[in-house]
Amino acid sequence: MKYVSFLLYMFFCCTLCVAQPRGQIAVKGTVCAVDGRPIPYVSVFLHNTKFGALSDEQGNYHFTAPPGRYTFTASLLGYNRENKMITLHPAQKVTVNFVMEEKQHELDEVTVTGKSQVQQVNKSAYNVVGIDAKALHNATLSMTHALDRISGVKIRETGGVGSHTQISLNGFSGKHVKIFLDGMPMDGFGSAFQLNNMPVNFAERIEVYKGVVPIELGADALGGAINIVTNHAGNTYLDASYSYGSFNTHKSGISFGHATAKGFTVMLNAYQNYSDNNYKVKTKLLDLQTNSYSKEEYWFERFHDNYHNETLVAKVGVVNKPFADKLLLGVTLSKEKADVQNANLMKIVYGGRERRAQSIIPSLHYEKRNFIVPRLKFSLAATYNNARNNNIDTLARQYNWNNEYRKKGTKGEGVYTMGEYDNRNACVTANAGYRFAARHTLTVNNQFSRYSRKAADAAANSETASATISMRRTNAKNVLGLSYKIEINPRLNMLAFGKYYDVAVRGPINVSSTSVAEYEEQLRTYHTTGYGIAATYFPLRPLQVKLSFEKACRLPSEHELFGDESLETGDAALKPENSRNVNLNISYSHEAGSVHAVYFDAGFIYRDTRDYIRRRIEQRYGGAFYVNHGNVRNVGVDMEVRYCYKKSFSIGGNFTWQDIRNMEQYDVSGRTLIYYKDRMPNVPYMLGNADASYVFHDIFGKGSRLSLGYNLRYVHSFFRDWESEGGDIVIPGYLSHDLNVICAFKDGRYNIALEVNNAMDEIVYDNYSLQKPGRNMAIKLRYFLFKNKFKTF
Amino acid sequence: MYITHAIQKTLYAGMICCAAQSFTSCHTNDNEPSGNEPVGAFLLSVTGESAEYLLQTADLTQGEISIADNKKTLEQSGYTWIFNRNPSVAIGLIYQQGDPGIGLAYTVDAERNLQELGQFQISSRFTSYGFFDHYALTSVGGQTPVDSQGNALLDGGGNPRTDGVTFNFIDLNKSLALQEKTITTLNITGNGDQATLSGVVDMGNGEFLTGMVVSQPRDPNAGGGASTGVVTYPDSVWVAAFDAGLNLKRIYRDNRISYSSGRFRSAYYSQIGKAANGDVYVFSGSYETTTTHPCGALKIAKNATAFAADYYFNIGEKTNNYKFRKVWHVADNYFMLEVYNDLEVTVNTAATRYAVVDMAAKTFAWVAGIPASDKIIGTGLPTAYDGKMYFPITAESADPAVYIIDPASASAVKGLSVTGAASINAVGILTL
Repeated sequence: MKYVSFLLYMFFCCTLCVAQPRGQIAVKGTVCAVDGRPIPYVSVFLHNTKFGALSDEQGNYHFTAPPGRYTFTASLLGYNRENKMITLHPAQKVTVNFVMEEKQHELDEVTVTGKSQVQQVNKSAYNVVGIDAKALHNATLSMTHALDRISGVKIRETGGVGSHTQISLNGFSGKHVKIFLDGMPMDGFGSAFQLNNMPVNFAERIEVYKGVVPIELGADALGGAINIVTNHAGNTYLDASYSYGSFNTHKSGISFGHATAKGFTVMLNAYQNYSDNNYKVKTKLLDLQTNSYSKEEYWFERFHDNYHNETLVAKVGVVNKPFADKLLLGVTLSKEKADVQNANLMKIVYGGRERRAQSIIPSLHYEKRNFIVPRLKFSLAATYNNARNNNIDTLARQYNWNNEYRKKGTKGEGVYTMGEYDNRNACVTANAGYRFAARHTLTVNNQFSRYSRKAADAAANSETASATISMRRTNAKNVLGLSYKIEINPRLNMLAFGKYYDVAVRGPINVSSTSVAEYEEQLRTYHTTGYGIAATYFPLRPLQVKLSFEKACRLPSEHELFGDESLETGDAALKPENSRNVNLNISYSHEAGSVHAVYFDAGFIYRDTRDYIRRRIEQRYGGAFYVNHGNVRNVGVDMEVRYCYKKSFSIGGNFTWQDIRNMEQYDVSGRTLIYYKDRMPNVPYMLGNADASYVFHDIFGKGSRLSLGYNLRYVHSFFRDWESEGGDIVIPGYLSHDLNVICAFKDGRYNIALEVNNAMDEIVYDNYSLQKPGRNMAIKLRYFLFKNKFKTF
Repeated sequence: MYITHAIQKTLYAGMICCAAQSFTSCHTNDNEPSGNEPVGAFLLSVTGESAEYLLQTADLTQGEISIADNKKTLEQSGYTWIFNRNPSVAIGLIYQQGDPGIGLAYTVDAERNLQELGQFQISSRFTSYGFFDHYALTSVGGQTPVDSQGNALLDGGGNPRTDGVTFNFIDLNKSLALQEKTITTLNITGNGDQATLSGVVDMGNGEFLTGMVVSQPRDPNAGGGASTGVVTYPDSVWVAAFDAGLNLKRIYRDNRISYSSGRFRSAYYSQIGKAANGDVYVFSGSYETTTTHPCGALKIAKNATAFAADYYFNIGEKTNNYKFRKVWHVADNYFMLEVYNDLEVTVNTAATRYAVVDMAAKTFAWVAGIPASDKIIGTGLPTAYDGKMYFPITAESADPAVYIIDPASASAVKGLSVTGAASINAVGILTL
């Protein structure tokens, strides 16, 4: 991420020649790579003039210029510059195509070549941050820890490796933020295959959409979305790494890809994490004789927190065929096992509880440009997830933090269970984009997903299984999106979109009129719409302004529409939770020669979120039910600043401040709320990151690099409960310092990284009572081989 | 030290009350204060948007207090509060879904400052609770009992049994030390069924009584978490007498009413209670749809070993056949009932109507002066004090308030309101 932004302007350096007087000569053409793949965002320009353009997503460019003889240049970072001599005669149309070759590979350039996609994301009208994950591939980070370094993002973990993780985006989390993997929603992937156990090496880049979510990510995300983009390249590459760290933590991963000249491609990605998570925590001790807690807190080593997961992702297919630019079949196999050390209050400790999960996810991906008709781009992606989760609590024991126990007379440390849940989730996304009249693009995206869940408790008596078990519980959702994009001129482009959501939920519901429940299968349907606009403008060369608006919604869940089958009543008349999101971004980047570079980005966020779906229990109505209630306003600022000196020194940081307040003045029954205009509790509202790095080149021989890095993480303390209620429980803030040394040899082929995280051994909490690891260290060895003969995006 | 006029008044009233009772039953764990312990504070548990807070006040009869003036934010919310008089302690019981809960205990010091006595772990759930001897007692049924190796006891079909009842004995004399004990209830009544226990009534002689909900094992897939399966004998009532060692001393049985327990979700509300004279009244709200009995009550006279044959109170006759869910002792022979709003009782039926019964005179009166039944959003755990019932009610468009119910007239007046709170969960007394 540290390299991300400052080079941005280079891609726009010749785009500002918008004046196109009559009588000038039209110049157009295509920019392709050696393998025929079009390259977007290439600067094509006539030397010593103001005439030129940027190539678009299809590699096409066009501009006009007066007659004359020129040196015509195509330039993009990471590629060799191409020069041609051309002569423009009056009343002539000229077509000039460029074929660009990538520069000889260096680690630096790996970073840079990936940028074009990242830059493309950052340049779009959406308030989106694209991160080049490859820059972090020498670190032992999980995907969530990489996300944690982005402004506006806060990762909240309950413990060490593999622990439950909540991703919060500008204050929104849970059902309000959607996570995608290559555009497919990850909801149904199961806990065995999630961002908290995925190494950052798995991704090529990470896109964080704050607020306005493009139709390509077809989901009901109220507060933004995160899209993890993996390597779809037809390269030949091998990336193998192993790391060992504190708390007996072993992580390894191997990633291999190969594409033949005939277009056959295979990709394998396997990784594993293992940790005892036996870090020390400070908490109260239970006396097993009296079942009383000590008044004082003591330090204990975690003794039942082993975690491991293993994942294999395999894809085979073809690229650059007449019938498909890309056709890939894949399967993901994933499983995890986690000991459960404590409850959501750390002093409640377990010695035998565990959870397990496994997922099997076949997938299909198809892409074709000029699909049937020219300029029509079509893609289709499908996954079928089969995820199984087990929660196991069978020990007839009660433990304390000394790893001592007493025998109990009944099964279960908490509640006896061998609970098993099978979730099946099918998802198909089709996307068609048509570009016409050079500057207009119409895109249609449809995503259909169907989710079903079956619960069975293996500890339960199978002979007495009731009818509800045989009834289906399914949730089918279709999100249809339509967007229209126009490039008014090279400095201004705009898009507008609409989304139509359709949900059908089927499940058992209690229809009894007696005290004995009776179930009947019912179907409930639901639909709603969302829409938005976005624009980006480059008023001056180094300056970009983005403005976007969306009316976003989060559909009622199965539970909210249906209740919990026996004791709650769902409500098909619920409105979706909805939010009006406005984002304004200004970014500035400037490079003085190739010595100094500065980058600055400021984002302003406004959100007005209404109709939260809340569960209510009112005695006069009997059971629980759901209502729409609430209004929360978020006014926030994200800022990022960075300075780089040559290719050696980089320093930067980001800061997020969000003022998220309850703007609902009355409760459901009409009483004034004491916490009207209060800051939302249990949400971090002020946080930031800073980092600095220095790179020594060639000190261990040519092509070697020694990099010293420092990262700072800051979170301000926040209240767990509403301040106006007089809640005095505070989740303390922290400053955490990470240090790293990375040695790379042979242009990045061999890498050794040393890390010290939380170097000052700060006591860190993301959630009340749940202490995170203290100081920890890791060493990572990585081998990376990359051949760029057939490099594609 | 400040003693307000109100405290002096209540103090005085309390002493009178106790003096009147002292020759009958001024038991340490009774609902009424023992009198020579001056009232230190009234403790209120209130819930805000989601967190639970403790408030204290010197006067429940009037005025308002803000949630922001709370003395303590609790780590967990959803506590059930029970109050003991001697020693004076407020005990908060909780269990979370699948996790043990942290039990809390509070008292007030001589300066009336709230003091936490300690925290203890409640590893088992609890669906019923009360005081017995020097213990706070909880119980939960439907547990899978184990042998000495920790292996589940199996039924004839090889499946884990679910007839375990786990008790927590929280020792008020030993710094709230908690002991967990499990008994099995298979065939406890001799008909092959198992039991869930409901209510705890201290007999004052080293035994306690508890209602038994006797049924077949529960369908493990049924929602709600209750531990009762098909009720084979819905027209019978059983009450068990246990000693402190959980030895079953005797079973009271009768066929004039249905089982004695009020049910809602996983909870089993006590429907037995002791009058001031030591007679125990066993109510049945006739929750079970299959029973042919109207809701009613029987009596176990003080120290008797069987139900009184000559006592039966057909409460259904008085309610026009509306059933009731909860029962609390108020004073003397007065009990308060929480009555369902509909004739047909389902798992979701609301109960927001309140009545006072005089169990000796067999009289019944709806409580007047409280919010209308269709305006009541929630109610909290009441406390009996000074011959009256202090009952927290949250009504539509109003701050939650404590209503003071006079059982003789069955009329209520509104007392203290708590501003900014969503509900008052419980009110109780801590003595000095």
